[in-house]
Amino acid sequence: MDLNLIKKLVRILDTSGLTDLEVEESGFKIKIAKKVKTVSVNSQPQISQSVSPDPDLSDINIKINSKSESDEEAGKNQHVINSPIVGTFYRAPSPDADDYVKVGDVVSQGSVLCIVEAMKLMNEIECDVNGKIIKILAENGKPVEYNQPLFLIQTN
Amino acid sequence: MFNKILIANRGEIALRIIRTCKELGVKTVAVYSEADRDSLHVTFADEAVCIGPPPSKDSYLKISSIISAAHITGADAIHPGYGFLAENAHFSEICAETGIKFIGPSPEMIQGMGDKANAKETMRRNGVPVIPGSDGVVTTPQEGIDIAKEIGFPVIIKASAGGGGKGMRVVWNESEFLNAFQTAGNEAESFFSNPAVYIEKYIENPRHIEIQLMGDRHGNIYQYGERDCSVQRRHQKLIEESPCAVIDDIMRDKMGEAALLGAKSINYEGAGTIEFLLDKHKKFYFMEMNTRIQVEHPVTELVCGVDLIRQQINAAAGDRIDILPRKPFGHAIEFRINAEDPDQNFRPSPGKIQSLHFPGGFGVRVDSHIYNPYTIPPYYDSLVAKLIVWGIDREHAIARGKRALEEFVIEGIKTTIPFHLKVLEDEKFKSGNFDTSFLDNFLK
Repeated sequence: MDLNLIKKLVRILDTSGLTDLEVEESGFKIKIAKKVKTVSVNSQPQISQSVSPDPDLSDINIKINSKSESDEEAGKNQHVINSPIVGTFYRAPSPDADDYVKVGDVVSQGSVLCIVEAMKLMNEIECDVNGKIIKILAENGKPVEYNQPLFLIQTN
Repeated sequence: MFNKILIANRGEIALRIIRTCKELGVKTVAVYSEADRDSLHVTFADEAVCIGPPPSKDSYLKISSIISAAHITGADAIHPGYGFLAENAHFSEICAETGIKFIGPSPEMIQGMGDKANAKETMRRNGVPVIPGSDGVVTTPQEGIDIAKEIGFPVIIKASAGGGGKGMRVVWNESEFLNAFQTAGNEAESFFSNPAVYIEKYIENPRHIEIQLMGDRHGNIYQYGERDCSVQRRHQKLIEESPCAVIDDIMRDKMGEAALLGAKSINYEGAGTIEFLLDKHKKFYFMEMNTRIQVEHPVTELVCGVDLIRQQINAAAGDRIDILPRKPFGHAIEFRINAEDPDQNFRPSPGKIQSLHFPGGFGVRVDSHIYNPYTIPPYYDSLVAKLIVWGIDREHAIARGKRALEEFVIEGIKTTIPFHLKVLEDEKFKSGNFDTSFLDNFLK
């Protein structure tokens, strides 16, 4: 990861009218987003809405996904499992049990990958393809929203 | 006071509620469907959770997703807005069962008032004037004629299991009754598999006048004046105003008292509206009660100087609601700006906004979630903005409304702005002497 490159990209975003910047090249992918603040002008009872980007660097969110070199050959045969519901993501059926799957496991259609708990109901999320787990995209015990990515699977 | 409120709604009302929450120092959670990812209420809220794909039934109406979103964000209350789950007794119940405060009335109150026949009976028993009619189903023509003569023609024969204008016949005099009774019954049978009919007095060309109510858990129930919502197209309100141009203070007090009587009889909590029909003889009749905040609530806010959403939240949090700081003052008019083409029979016009300018100045309020460049999704209702103006009297409010509508620029989609301008030029509208038939005649 080249820190100077990242600084350059942040500067580019900062000085432009863009709100998002995504760059991908071999083994490296970065997405930078500017937090957008609203500015209210005038007094009661009317508020005029004008939206302007805030150049404060502390508001810039940086998300970095780096793929390892070995995935280079896998290329396009990748499938994301998204959460079908809103809830809390769990890797294992209970706190002291083993995780359903870990990175590198071979899975098939119907394999249970995880639990998303909603309203005290434990919903088992099944895999819909055959393949191998490359990456776990959500964090154990943390909330997930509808369609949030959970697993990256390399399909055959 | 609540720590965090989840707003189970979208569009302009979600924004409206978030604004008051911020003023109260309460954290906010927005929920959104995938079609609303770029919506303003998502940006304004402190947190946001995607709850489903675009269709309402899979997102804004999906109780499990909304409750789940409240749980994972730690929200302690849910504001349902209007529409969607706002009057869903089941949702209110589930909130209670899962330890989340529903900002609205109890499931029993929602259910009680949602059953129209039951609501009417409750009001009648408590001395609120209701539309005179038969006591339930009418089985023979003779029984029908006797009832009709008692309540006075014209009457309307209605299918008990009915709706959508089917199985209804208006009868103007006794000689028409038998035929109308039989054909209404036959139509009811063919459409609803139930020939049962009942009879009500037919109110010709009524005005629609509603009273804003607010109740808390300390036994306080107040009425915040009336709104005249007679400008409707196919039973959809387009322009609302306060005060009503044709009733005097005696009438106003009578209606207010009747509404309070109705609300007190059920110990009502939260925001509610009792709708009356006013006939041409200036007699009023209970029509129905809405147990939620309404679209046109800003009209009352501007003449009364009260934040109704704030009152709702206070009441739900167990605090006392406020009496009005002063008597209603001035005149307010709301224009619903819909993404519809008035020249093409109000056909919906979703699409991308290309140019936008909100009107401003003294006495002008715009409640809207649109911005430039926002794409109006096709999955939900067509309301894109509410323009509410306040003037010292009705004439001033009309002049200000005209001025503000002329300043209002929305390009890229068709809107009802030109239509509102035409209505403001109409002599009948300007006179204040119109009823619910006004718009249908105006559009002919």
